[in-house]
Amino acid sequence: MLQINHLYKSYGKFQAVSDLSLHIPKGDLFGFVGPNGAGKTTTIRMVCGLMLPNAGTIKINGVDALANQKEIKKQIGYVPDFFGVYDNLKVREYMDFYGSMYRMHSREIAQIAGDLLELVNLSDKTEVYVDTLSRGMKQRLCVARALIHNPALLVLDEPNSGLDPRARVEMKELLLNLKSMGKTIVISSHILSELSEMCNSIGIMDHGHLVAAGRIEDVMDDVFGSNQLVVTFDEGRERAVRIANEYAGVKVTSVGEKEMKLSHSMTKQEIAGMIATMIENEVVVTGFHRQEGNLETLFMRVTENAGAQEGGNDYAESNR
Amino acid sequence: MLNPIVKKDVKVQSRSMRICWGVFIYELILALAFFLAMIIMEQQIRFSTSNIYSAMVWLYPVLALTQIGILGLIVPVRTASAISGEKERQTFDIMLTTSMTAFSVVMGKVMTAMIQSMFFVIASMPVMALSFVIGGMSWGYLFGFLALALLVSLFSASIGILCSSLCKKSISAVIMSYIIYIVFFLGTFLPYLLYEVALMNAAYSTTQTTNAALTYTYGENLYLFLLVNPAVYLAEFFGRVMTGESVVNTFATLTGAHQTKGLINHVATGSRWMVISTVLFVGISFLFLWLASKRIDPIKRRAKKRAKKQMQQPDMQVIVQENIMQKPEDGQ
Ligand SMILES: Nc1ncnc2c1ncn2[C@@H]1O[C@H](COP(=O)(O)OP(=O)(O)OP(=O)(O)O)[C@@H](O)[C@H]1O
Ligand SMILES: [Mg+2]
Repeated sequence: MLQINHLYKSYGKFQAVSDLSLHIPKGDLFGFVGPNGAGKTTTIRMVCGLMLPNAGTIKINGVDALANQKEIKKQIGYVPDFFGVYDNLKVREYMDFYGSMYRMHSREIAQIAGDLLELVNLSDKTEVYVDTLSRGMKQRLCVARALIHNPALLVLDEPNSGLDPRARVEMKELLLNLKSMGKTIVISSHILSELSEMCNSIGIMDHGHLVAAGRIEDVMDDVFGSNQLVVTFDEGRERAVRIANEYAGVKVTSVGEKEMKLSHSMTKQEIAGMIATMIENEVVVTGFHRQEGNLETLFMRVTENAGAQEGGNDYAESNR
Repeated sequence: MLNPIVKKDVKVQSRSMRICWGVFIYELILALAFFLAMIIMEQQIRFSTSNIYSAMVWLYPVLALTQIGILGLIVPVRTASAISGEKERQTFDIMLTTSMTAFSVVMGKVMTAMIQSMFFVIASMPVMALSFVIGGMSWGYLFGFLALALLVSLFSASIGILCSSLCKKSISAVIMSYIIYIVFFLGTFLPYLLYEVALMNAAYSTTQTTNAALTYTYGENLYLFLLVNPAVYLAEFFGRVMTGESVVNTFATLTGAHQTKGLINHVATGSRWMVISTVLFVGISFLFLWLASKRIDPIKRRAKKRAKKQMQQPDMQVIVQENIMQKPEDGQ
C-alpha cells in the first residue's frame, strides 16, 4: 500500500529524515513511534505531498506520489498534528466545504458526511458551530473530514495529543473500526501503550532514522532476542530450576520467590513437556506464559541503541 | 462549479459582525467625502454663473476615487490575512492535501476579496446615484465604475496574495504590498524622468542637435511604462468620463510624442491606451496570482520533473543519495 524507499530530508544542514525505507501492507494499522523531533511529522508531511524529499521515492498503491500528485491526493486522508477550525462554520458546512474541494456533488457529500458523522459519533452536532466543539470532538470531526473522499490511506499525526483518557479510548475504537473497514492507517504518536493496543505493526524512529519496523511481535522478538518464558509456581522452586536446567537450550535468566524467567529455543511441544515434567516432580505450577516485552521497554532499548551507534556523530545534536 | 473557498469564506464572513462595522466605516468615510465636496462646490458656485445641479456631476469622481482609495488600501490587508489566517490554523495544509490546486486556492481567495469589495461598493450605490440623478450623468458610467472597482480589487488582491505567499507574517505582507504600490505609482514614472534629464544634459553639452533629435525619436517610448501606472489609468478613466477627452492623447500631443515614429505614437491615439492598459493590469494580476500559486505549491513543477527524471535514471538517484549521506561529515 505505502512504500517508502530511501527517503531523505534536511532542513538546511540539519538532517531530519535519513535513509528511511518502509513498506506498509494494505489493511495495516501502522504505528509510527519516536521521541520529539525524531522526524515523524516530517515523514508524514512528505507522504502527504506537503513537502518535497531531498531524495527517495514514495509509492502509494504502486503509484509514484511525487510525480502523480493529483491521483495520490484522492487516496490520502490527512489529519495534521495541530489544526484549527473556522469560526462561524457549522459541522455540516465544514464537511460540505471539504467535500466540495474534492469536486464531489453536494448530495453525495451530504450522504457520506451523514454516515461519517455517525461513525465518529457526531451525528447530533451537525448544526453546531465547529469552533464550539470540544477538542476531542474536533479531532474526530477532523478524522471524518479526512475520510470524506473515501481514501484508501488515512494518515494521522498524533491524533491523541491533548485528549483525555475517555476521548483516547473513543479515538482508538474509531481507528480499529476503520481498520476493520479495510482502510490502511498510519498513526504517529509517542504514547506507546495506546499503539500497542491497536496497531499490528510499528516503526520506531529516532534522530531521523527508522531503527526498527515490522509486525509488532517481530519487532519485539528482534529486539529481545531469543524467546522468553515466565513460569510461576507456588512450591518447589529448587526442583523447578533444576529441571529447567536439564533441558538443552534453556537458560534460567532470573529466579524470584514465585516465578522464574527462562530464555529458550524450544518448540511448543518441548515447553509443554518441560512443564509436565515439573508437575510430575511436584512443582506446584500455577501458570506459564511467553514474556511479552512491553513497548515501553522496547522503545527505550531501541532508541538507546541508536544513540549509542551515533556516539561519535553528534551532528544531529549540535544543530539543534 | 463555484469555488468552494469562495462559498465558505463568504458564508463565514456574512456571519461575522466585522463586515457590518466595515460597511459602517466605509459609508462614514464616503459621507465625509460627500459633505466636503458639497462645501467646496458651494464656495465655487458663489463666484460663478453655473448652478449647483450641474456641479453635482463632480460628486462622481470624488466619491469614486474615495472608494477606489479605500479598496486599494484595504484589499491587500484582507487577502494577506486571509492566507496567513489559514496558515496559522494549518487549514492551509489540509487544503493543499485535497484535490484543490494551489492556483484554485489562490483564485478562491481573490474572488472572495472581489466579492467583498463589491459588497462595499454596492452598499454605496445610493450615494453615488446622486451624481446621476441630480447631476444628470449618463447611467453607463455607473457600470463603468463597477468595472473599475472590480479591476482595482483584482489588482490589489493579487498584489496582496503574492506578498502573503512571500512573507510569513501578514503585517510584513501588507507593508510589502504598499511598497509594490509605490513602485507602480512612482517607479513607472522613473524611466521617463531619467530620460528627460539625460535629454536636457545632452542638449546642454552638445551643440549638435541631430544627436538630441535621434534620442528624441525613440526615447519617447519610455512613456509606455505609464501604461501600468494606476494614477495615469485613473486620470484617463475620469478624464474621459468628465470631459470626454483623453488625458493621454492631450499629453502626447503636448510633448510631441505624436510626431515620433515609435510605438508610443500608435498606443497613445484614440482609446487604444485605455484598452491596452486594462489588458496589462489584468495580465499583471494573473501573473502575480500564478507566481503566488507557484510559491505555495509544496511540490513545484520543477520538482515533479526532477522526480520523473529520477525514475527514468535510477543510477542518478543513488548518486544523489550518496551525496546526502556524505553531508554530515562535510558539515563537521
Ligand atoms: N520547518 C522546519 N525548519 C527547520 N527544522 C525543522 C522544521 N520542521 C522540523 N524541523 C526539525 O526537524 C526535526 C524533526 O521534526 P519533526 O517535526 O518531524 O519531529 P516529530 O517526530 O514529529 O516530533 P514530535 O513528536 O515533537 O512531533 C526536529 O528536530 C525539528 O527541529
Ligand atoms: Mg510531530
